[in-house]
Amino acid sequence: MELIPSLDLLNGRVVRLTHGDFSTAKVYGDAEEVLDALDVPRGARLHVVDLEASRSGHPVETDIVRRLAQRDLIVQVGGGIRSLDDARRWLDCGAGRVVVGTAAATSLLDALVEAFGPERIVPAIDVRDGVVRTEGWLRESPVTMREIFARVESLAIPEALVTDISKDGALRGPSFALYRQLRRATRVKIIASGGISQTSDVVSLARLGNMSGCVIGKALLEKRVDLNEARARLAAADSVPERVIPCLDVRDGRVVKGVSFENIRDAGDPVECAMRYEDEGADELVILDINGTRSSIDTVRRVAESIFIPLTVGGGIRSVEDFRDTLRAGADRVAINTAALRRPELIAECSAEFGVQAVVLSCDAKGGLATVRGGKEVTDVDAIEWCRRAEQLGAGEILLTSVDRDGTNSGFDLELLRAATSVLKIGVIASGGAGSLDHFRDAIEAGGARAVLAASLFHDRVLTVGDVKHHLEAEGIPIRRVIRSEARNPPA
Amino acid sequence: MNVTLIDSPVANVANIARALRAVNAELRVTRDAAAIASAQKLVLPGVGSFGAAMSWLIETRIDDAIRNAVANGASLLGICVGHQLLFDASHEMGTTRGLGLLRGEVHQFEGPLPVPQIGWNRVRGGQAILPVRTGKIACPPLFDGVDDDTAFYFVNSYAARGVESEIASAEYNGSFTAAVQQGRVFGVQFHPEKSSRAGLRVLRNFVEWN
Repeated sequence: MELIPSLDLLNGRVVRLTHGDFSTAKVYGDAEEVLDALDVPRGARLHVVDLEASRSGHPVETDIVRRLAQRDLIVQVGGGIRSLDDARRWLDCGAGRVVVGTAAATSLLDALVEAFGPERIVPAIDVRDGVVRTEGWLRESPVTMREIFARVESLAIPEALVTDISKDGALRGPSFALYRQLRRATRVKIIASGGISQTSDVVSLARLGNMSGCVIGKALLEKRVDLNEARARLAAADSVPERVIPCLDVRDGRVVKGVSFENIRDAGDPVECAMRYEDEGADELVILDINGTRSSIDTVRRVAESIFIPLTVGGGIRSVEDFRDTLRAGADRVAINTAALRRPELIAECSAEFGVQAVVLSCDAKGGLATVRGGKEVTDVDAIEWCRRAEQLGAGEILLTSVDRDGTNSGFDLELLRAATSVLKIGVIASGGAGSLDHFRDAIEAGGARAVLAASLFHDRVLTVGDVKHHLEAEGIPIRRVIRSEARNPPA
Repeated sequence: MNVTLIDSPVANVANIARALRAVNAELRVTRDAAAIASAQKLVLPGVGSFGAAMSWLIETRIDDAIRNAVANGASLLGICVGHQLLFDASHEMGTTRGLGLLRGEVHQFEGPLPVPQIGWNRVRGGQAILPVRTGKIACPPLFDGVDDDTAFYFVNSYAARGVESEIASAEYNGSFTAAVQQGRVFGVQFHPEKSSRAGLRVLRNFVEWN
């Protein structure tokens, strides 16, 4: 999938409009200077929109496009192309392709393809609530999406630019549901546009499988997405599996589960649960001592001795010594929460002593604020700011639990997740609210989480870890497959 | 099968011991240089700092013991930093010489992805014996029964890249060496003891290999 930086041009400069209103234009500077700052590689595709042309109906920024086209870039130009002559002028300027919006719904599309060939024409289709819009988003098109794509296919046009208008410029993430729907509806490859606001969006779009590119505008200009980082993440999009993590909330040597950290009930023996989850394909296990007294250290030891996957342990870790004891009991990583909120340096101390890979910050968020003592006590610390601070102090990963969603089965808090994953380099484990298979997908795809965690859903056998991994894989998200050949011996 | 596990203080020996026992190794865990020099099958674990791990080997003369054992036909498996120690040198905090059993050097990951790498990563059949899975070309014995693209658990900031002994690679800020074999000397950058069944299978392949 190509990463296609997008420049909207007005009066010779790069701008962004809010809701298509010209009076709101925010100026980012000269087109070539902006382009230099973005560090676009040679041979890449560039998406250019001539805003004045889209208003007046005639090409305006031809000089800039000519200069950009001389830079060893494939420039695709859009904006008010309503005739063969308009398209020819852009192509004569060196544009590799022309993007046609309103025209895509008319017979002009056929004429353009006949004159210039299907590879040089990119139909742009704006959609809101599943309905195609034209003429600057103002009008509902009489043509349905199905009809437009049937036409595009019959003209042998290889790809189409599809924008979910409700998402554009809002930085709330692209419309994965729309693009997934198109994967079933058409063979045409899609260039995604609108809402792409963090690197994980790019990865998630690529995983859909029917995307030939994604246009990134505001997020690049606002430095929310870095092209180099996005390329690196894309290169590893299929090689680094996303993780499914069952969580054992432990008290008095038993697994327990409650709703929003209350109404606690028994859910089984920790060692039996742990071994079953590893067999089902759990990529890691979390044990949280819900008493916060570290009374479960013996349970930790017993579980650690019966599994061969990484084990993260949290609950009641108050000092470097507690941290060390927990590692000695067999944990690979230790999660800290309350003590770190009271004394943030604990994160730095543990990170220096045991390595960044051993330190997990557990953040229980309620109404956007960090909480302590198992969600019982709300602090005045902004949860996302706290996660950022923890990253700077040396946390290797964030276990982000929505206390509001915990035990409700209503889905992970995607807004909270995006707020965290858009500003953190380290991974986020999504926790709290899992209720269905799609919830797990959404936490990774839209939420940007690098792992998904659930407890009661697995304990109650509503879903198995295998069910979740199967579903993620079917949705294009790489997971770790379990090899069946190695029957292991029971622990001594 | 008898296996001698080198009891390095700069390693997670207990976890590796447990995994080796799970695949029926008859295990001797030792720091005795003479015992190591006469061993037939050696495992060299390691976590944390390359320099600290190598210093300990030199102080205890276990570096020479390992070289002697290999020269006398012992097989050796290095794990994580133990794998890195097999090479000529590492550039972790300056340059430190390694055991020099394999050609190549260990470098820090450079690129936009966060370092250290923490987590599962898919391992692919490498350059020396290609590829892991197809029956046509000999599969590296370490990966017998393990599909190409199987994920293993990694925790590392440093790795070798494209060395001649590479039998499997993975992608993280570019391609890096995930496993090596040269004769009887094996190494894995990942943690087999944390890699569930796939990891146990690799350990069993080493334990049962002749």
